[in-house]
Amino acid sequence: MPDQINILVIDDELVMREGCTRILSKDGWGVICAENGKQGLDQIQSHLDQIDVILLDLMMPGMSGMEVLDQIRTINPNLLIIVITGYATVESAVEAMKKGAYDFIPKPFTPDQLRIVVRRALERRILQKEADFLRRERERSLRDIATEKSKIKTIINCMGDGVLVCDGDGCIVLSNPAASRMLKIPETSLLGNFVSQCNLPPELSSAMAQSLKTKEMGYSALSQELSIGEAGEIYLRAHTAPVRNDLGEIMGSVTVLQDISHLKELDKMKSEFIAMVAHELRAPIASVEQQLTVILNGIAGEVTEKQEQLLSRAKERTKGLLTLINDLLDLSKIEAGVMVQYKEPLLLQEVILKVIDLMKAEAGAKRIDLQFSAPSQVPLIQADRNSMEGIFNNLISNAIKYTPEGGTVRVTLGEEAGFVKATVSDTGIGIKKEDLSRIFDKFYRVRTSETRQIIGTGLGLSIVKSIVEAHLGTISVESEVGKGTTFTVLLPKEKSGSGLEI
Amino acid sequence: MPKKILIVDDDPDLVEAVTMILESKNYEVAAAYGGIEGLQKARTENPDLIVLDVMMPDKDGYAVCKELKADPQLSNIPVLLLTAVVSKIPTTRYTQQMGLETEADDYIDKPVEPEVLVKRIETLLTK
Repeated sequence: MPDQINILVIDDELVMREGCTRILSKDGWGVICAENGKQGLDQIQSHLDQIDVILLDLMMPGMSGMEVLDQIRTINPNLLIIVITGYATVESAVEAMKKGAYDFIPKPFTPDQLRIVVRRALERRILQKEADFLRRERERSLRDIATEKSKIKTIINCMGDGVLVCDGDGCIVLSNPAASRMLKIPETSLLGNFVSQCNLPPELSSAMAQSLKTKEMGYSALSQELSIGEAGEIYLRAHTAPVRNDLGEIMGSVTVLQDISHLKELDKMKSEFIAMVAHELRAPIASVEQQLTVILNGIAGEVTEKQEQLLSRAKERTKGLLTLINDLLDLSKIEAGVMVQYKEPLLLQEVILKVIDLMKAEAGAKRIDLQFSAPSQVPLIQADRNSMEGIFNNLISNAIKYTPEGGTVRVTLGEEAGFVKATVSDTGIGIKKEDLSRIFDKFYRVRTSETRQIIGTGLGLSIVKSIVEAHLGTISVESEVGKGTTFTVLLPKEKSGSGLEI
Repeated sequence: MPKKILIVDDDPDLVEAVTMILESKNYEVAAAYGGIEGLQKARTENPDLIVLDVMMPDKDGYAVCKELKADPQLSNIPVLLLTAVVSKIPTTRYTQQMGLETEADDYIDKPVEPEVLVKRIETLLTK
């Protein structure tokens, strides 16, 4: 809003013009004068947005006041016009008001009377301007929102990744062309329909349903691989995460789909190659180890103490190589999707107890206290028994491996918001921050003087992670160097979900 | 009269090592270096037990085992399957993965400790 307020005085009498100018400029207002209607209209045209109020004499030679009034109204109907009526006749004042004048002031008037009338008009003018300003602001905001909306819509529609958004009731409120293409479901069958009715892959709809029930705060995305259509045709990676409002309540969920078919293809080739190489390597190594075993058992003749020592070490090395090759084969099997296919309702404590039993000797040899605690009731999970054994075998034997003599390895089991939660903590050497983010990577091993003596392939944890993810679970790690490490595995409860007494 | 054991494996070094183990325990040993040869020798050598490798290029151990068990003259010879599979993964699971059912009488991972092998063979022979 311009700060200077301008008043245009249109009057044929010089005295009036000078008088008004004197009175009004005292109050700090700008005054422009015109001595007839024509000049007045010109002034209005040339100061279009600068004039706030017009004082207009009705009785002027040439163009009459009424005529000027009409023309001003056509130029700008918002201009506030106060008519000056020479004869104080009510009729002409009424007529002017009917034509759209805001107010009138009869001649003769005192400076105060003029000020009051002008001030009232100005107040009105300021309100008018404010309203105008607010209206423009609102229009602009609405336009901005519309632009922003259309921008976001365009971005989402142009994305190569698929996007599905559902509201808190599980109804799909947004989807993009990529999602329809990837899922092979037309957009019309997605939008406005409930997740359960869209013919989505069951793993996906259950992940979406589950994300709407996630209780704990923080970012909790579920990531999984889906295969669509004929086996091996399209592979998708789906990330599903809840959307929360500022109170932390779940408003819906967002799923982003990535087409990973070409990655899968490469991965498959790589896995096949690894499997092939591993098989080819394993046969001769197994053969060498068999021969060493025969010699060490004295079947091929007397063995001296020194020879036995050397050959035993050679045998340890071949054993290490076989373990590595077996890990490689495990990994390629998991990646080929053959390893986690036999899911059944499972009590995780049974699995863990069995693994702990097998580990007791190993822990005992290092005087490590191996503890297990679980509440009396833990819900069932839907899982592959052998894979679960593999996970805890790996985590617990790692914990024992990386914990110095006399330490503690503690395994706990519990429940957390729709998940069964298992932790494996140790009082071991710990993992440095810079290594933490990478320990689940394939072939990654933490290299320190302390780990050099420990045999490993760097595949164990990546296999563990693949298995956990194949069960729609998550694995995380916390560690402090010199203090110890805790791995936390979350696995979704079985659907029927009732806990069993043990 | 010593019992006769037929070893079927395409890896001659492994055959030799297993032969030495068994001969040290006074078994008579015959060897075949492939699935097809193994089937032939099962008929000609008249073994008391067959130690059979799984992974063989011409005919794998499962197929050989199936044919042996389908032949009424050979079906009562015990078959000990030598698998090169991680001991962590149970063998039944391995066969599930391979989509194969087998009627082998026992399984053993290779490489094998001599006393374990001998013990398993003795058990099968006294059945």
